[in-house]
Amino acid sequence: MALLTGWAAFLVGFATIAAIYGLLTVGLNVHYGYTGLLNFGHVAFFAAGAYAAAIVTMPPPSTVTNASYVVWFNLPMPWGFPVSLAAAALAGGVLALLIGLTSVRLGTHYLAIATFALAGVFSDILVNEAWLTNGSFGMNSVPKPGRAVLGADVWQLVYLIFALVSLAAVYLLVERVMNAPFGRLLKGIRESEAAAEMLGKNPTVVKLKSFVIGGMITGFAGGIYAHYFGSVVTAQFLPGVTFTVYAAMLLGGAASNTGAVVGAFTVVAFRESTRFITTAYNWFQATLPEPVTGILPAVFGPLPNNPSFIPSMRLVVVGLLFVLVIRYRPEGLLGNPSEVDALGDEGGGD
Amino acid sequence: MSFHDILQVIVFGLIEGSVIAVGAVGLTLSYGVTRFINFAYGEFLTYGAYLTLFLAGGLFGLSMPLPAAAVVAIAIVGGLGVAVSRTFFEPIADRGALPLLITSIGVSFILRNLLQGWVGVDARQLPTPLLRRQEYLGLVQLTDLELGIVVAGVMTMVAIHLLLQHTMLGKRMRATSGNRSLAEVAGIDTTSVVRQTWFVSGAAGALSGVLYAVLFSPFRPGVGFEYLIVIFAATLLGGIGRPYGAMLGAFAIGLAMNFGSTYLSANYTRAYAFLILVAVLLVKPEGIRGGEF
Amino acid sequence: MGAADSDADADADTDDAGSANIDDGSAGDPLLAVDGVVKTFGGLVAVDGATFGVERESITGLIGPNGAGKSTLFDCITGVHAPDSGTIRLDGAEIQGRSPTAVARRGVGRTFQTPKTFRGMTVRQNLAFAARDQVGERAFNSMFRPNTVSAEEADIQERVDEILEFLELDHLAEEYGSALSGGQRKLLELGRVILMDPDIILLDEPIAGVNPSLTDDLLDRLEELNDRGRTILFIEHDIDVVMQHCDHVVVMHNGETLASGPPQIVQEDDRVVEAYLGGYDA
Repeated sequence: MALLTGWAAFLVGFATIAAIYGLLTVGLNVHYGYTGLLNFGHVAFFAAGAYAAAIVTMPPPSTVTNASYVVWFNLPMPWGFPVSLAAAALAGGVLALLIGLTSVRLGTHYLAIATFALAGVFSDILVNEAWLTNGSFGMNSVPKPGRAVLGADVWQLVYLIFALVSLAAVYLLVERVMNAPFGRLLKGIRESEAAAEMLGKNPTVVKLKSFVIGGMITGFAGGIYAHYFGSVVTAQFLPGVTFTVYAAMLLGGAASNTGAVVGAFTVVAFRESTRFITTAYNWFQATLPEPVTGILPAVFGPLPNNPSFIPSMRLVVVGLLFVLVIRYRPEGLLGNPSEVDALGDEGGGD
Repeated sequence: MSFHDILQVIVFGLIEGSVIAVGAVGLTLSYGVTRFINFAYGEFLTYGAYLTLFLAGGLFGLSMPLPAAAVVAIAIVGGLGVAVSRTFFEPIADRGALPLLITSIGVSFILRNLLQGWVGVDARQLPTPLLRRQEYLGLVQLTDLELGIVVAGVMTMVAIHLLLQHTMLGKRMRATSGNRSLAEVAGIDTTSVVRQTWFVSGAAGALSGVLYAVLFSPFRPGVGFEYLIVIFAATLLGGIGRPYGAMLGAFAIGLAMNFGSTYLSANYTRAYAFLILVAVLLVKPEGIRGGEF
Repeated sequence: MGAADSDADADADTDDAGSANIDDGSAGDPLLAVDGVVKTFGGLVAVDGATFGVERESITGLIGPNGAGKSTLFDCITGVHAPDSGTIRLDGAEIQGRSPTAVARRGVGRTFQTPKTFRGMTVRQNLAFAARDQVGERAFNSMFRPNTVSAEEADIQERVDEILEFLELDHLAEEYGSALSGGQRKLLELGRVILMDPDIILLDEPIAGVNPSLTDDLLDRLEELNDRGRTILFIEHDIDVVMQHCDHVVVMHNGETLASGPPQIVQEDDRVVEAYLGGYDA
C-alpha cells in the first residue's frame, strides 16, 4: 500500500532537497557571510562530497553497466553509511584546503576568479577521469541505506527526517561556533584584515580554517545527496548550483544561519513550484469556460516552446534576485542591516 | 613532434590567442574605469555570436552577408554594454567590489538565460564557408578564415592602441582609470567616459565572440560564460587594467592551451590556461596581501 | 647649548636616545630602538636613516611635516614594510622585516590615522576582538570546550567594560561601528589597542580629525595611560601638543631624524628651528 501519494510525496521530496540546500547554504554562509570570502566555486565541494560517498559505497564495476571506474569500496549498508558521510565531509574539507591554500591570501577579485576557475577545472577532471568517476555517465548505483527493508515510501520519509536532523545538528553547531569568539574573529577579518593583523591575528590561517569548515559542511551535504538520489552525475554539479545557493544565502541574509535555511527553503520551493507551471496552465485551460479559452494561448502563445524555457526562466529569476537583493535589501530577509552595510567595503581593509 | 608540427601548434595558439586578445582587452578596459571584473562579460561574446547568426540568417526579415551582420551585431552589443552598465552597475558604483561582482554574476545569469530560454540549448553555427587549408611559406597551413581571425585580432589591437594613445577619449579613459577623482577634478566627465568605455568593452567582447564562433563553431548559449576562465587568465596574466599586457597574456594563454591539448591531454583545455594563472598568482603576488585586487 | 648639538650628531652612531642619557639619567635601555632605518619606494626615499629610541614608560612624540616619513617609519616598525636597511629592536630583539601579525604578537600595538573600525560589529565586539591569545578563537575549542571559552570570555568582557569606562564610551557599547562619529572611532581605535595590552603603543596622529573639544580629553587619557605604565609613541604635527604632553620628542624631516630629546631642548635645536622656520601654528 503506498503511503505517500501525490502531494505528500511531492512535499517529502521537496523538503529533502530543501534540507540539502540548507546545508549548502549554511556552508557558503561560513565562507561569505561570516568571513567575507567570495567563493564562486562552491559546487565543487558539493561534488567532491557526493563523489566521495559514491566511490566509497558503489558496488564493483563488474556488476554495473557502462562501468569504467576502477576505484570502489562497496562498503555495505548500514554501517557503511556513516563512513560514507564522513568521507564526503572529509573530501569537501580536503578540496577546500587545497583550493584555499592557493587562494585565501588573494584579494577579493582574485579569490572569486580563482575559486570559479578551480571549480571549472575540478568539473573537467570529474568528466575526464572516468577511472575514478565513471565520467559523464555517472555513478548510478549508490546505495540508498535501508530502502529495501523499509520500502520506498517509508524510506523517503525516514530519509527526510534524517536530512532534517542533520541540518538541525549542523545548524546548531555552526551557531555555537559563530556566537563564540571564533565567529567574532571571522567577522573582524571580514571587516579589515589590516586591523586584524595589527591586533595580532593571522588572517590567512583564519580564512583557511573558515574555508575548510564550510567545505566540510558542503561535502557532507554532497554525501546526503548521493545516498538520496542513488546517482551522482557530473551534469548535476554545474555553476548554476553555486549561484542558486548564493541566491538562497543573499535572500535569507548573509551571516545569518537562520536566514541561510529560510533562504534555501524559499529558493527550492520556488524552483520546485515552477515545475508545475505547465500542469497548472493545462488545468486552467481545461477548466475555463468556452468563450475565454482563447485568452491563455493568446497571451502565452508567442513564448518559445522549447524545453529549456522554464528552467532558463528560473535562472533568470535567480539572476534578478541577486541584482535586486544586493541593490535594495542587502541584508536579505533575516540579516542584520548594520552588519551587511560594511560587506560592501573591500574585505582587505585600506 | 616534428618542427613542422610544432610550428602548426604555435600558429593555432596565435590564432586562438587573437580571439582571446580581443576579449581580454575589452575586459581589462572596463576594469580600468570601474575597478571591478565584470563576470557578465562572457555574455557579450555570446550575444555577439548569436546576433550575428540571427542577422545573417533572416531574423526580422533581414538577411545580411556575414561580415555586415557581424559589424551590426558588434555595434548592438556595444550598446548593450552601455545599457547594462547604466541599469545594473552605475546605481551601485560606490558600494565596493563585492556587491558589483555579485551583481555582475546576476546579470550574466539574466542575459544568458534569457537567450537560452529563447533559442534553446541546441548548438548553432555561423554560416561560414567551408575552406581548405592553404600552405604558407611551405611551413604552416591555414584557412583563409583563420588568417582572417588573426588579421581581425591584430587590427583590433592596433585600433585600441590608436584609441588609447591618439584620441581625446583614449586620454580621458587613461586618466579616469588611473585616478578617477583626479580626472573629475581635472574637468573630465567621467560618467560619460565610463559609458563609452562600456561600449568599447561590449563591442570587443562581441567581436571576440564572433571570432570564437568562426573558429570553434558550433556554439551554445553557454559559450561565453564557459570561456570566461580563459579570458580571465589572459587578463590577469597581463596585469589587470593593462590593455597591452592583456594582449600579450592572451597570446601566451592561447599558446599554452594549444600546446597543452596537443601534447598533454586534449581533454583539458581551459585547465592549462588556469594553471598558468594560478602559477603567476602564486609567484608574483600582485593582489596578494595589501593589494586591493 | 653644546649638549643639544652633540645630541643631534649622535643620531648616526648610537641606537640609543642619546639625549636621554644626559637629561634623565635612565639606564639607556630603550624599549624600542630604531637604528639607521632606510626605506625607499621605487625612486622615492621615504625614510632616510631614522635613528632614535623610546624609553620604557615614556610618552614620546614623533613630529615632522607631512611627507617627513613618519607614517612610513611606523609601517616599518609594525611590519607592514620591511626596511631596506637598518634595524628595529623591541626589548633588544630585532623585529624589522617580520610580518605585522608577528610584530603585534611581540607586543607592538598600533592605531591608524584613519581608524580601521569594524563597522559591521558593535563597539563591544570591536574591543573584545583585540584580546590576545583567546582560547575561544579556535574553532575546535568553540565547539568542544564551551566552559573554558565562557570563562575566558567573561574575563575579556570585564576588561572591555573597564576600557569603555576609561574612554567614556560605555553608552555606545552596543552601537555598531558604522554609527560612530569620527572622534568616537578614534577613541575606539585607541581602546582596541589598549585592550590588546601591548608593551608599546604606536599612535598615528591620534588627535587628527578629532573634534577640538574631544582633543583635550583624548590627550588626558593618553597621559593617564602613560601614568599607569604604558609606553607610548605617537605621531603628531602640532608642536604645542607635543611640547605639552611628551617626555621626549623625535623630530623627522625629509626622512631623517633631525633631533631627539626632551621637548625644551629639541625646541631650541638649531636644525629643528631651521626646518620649521616660522614655527607651526595649528
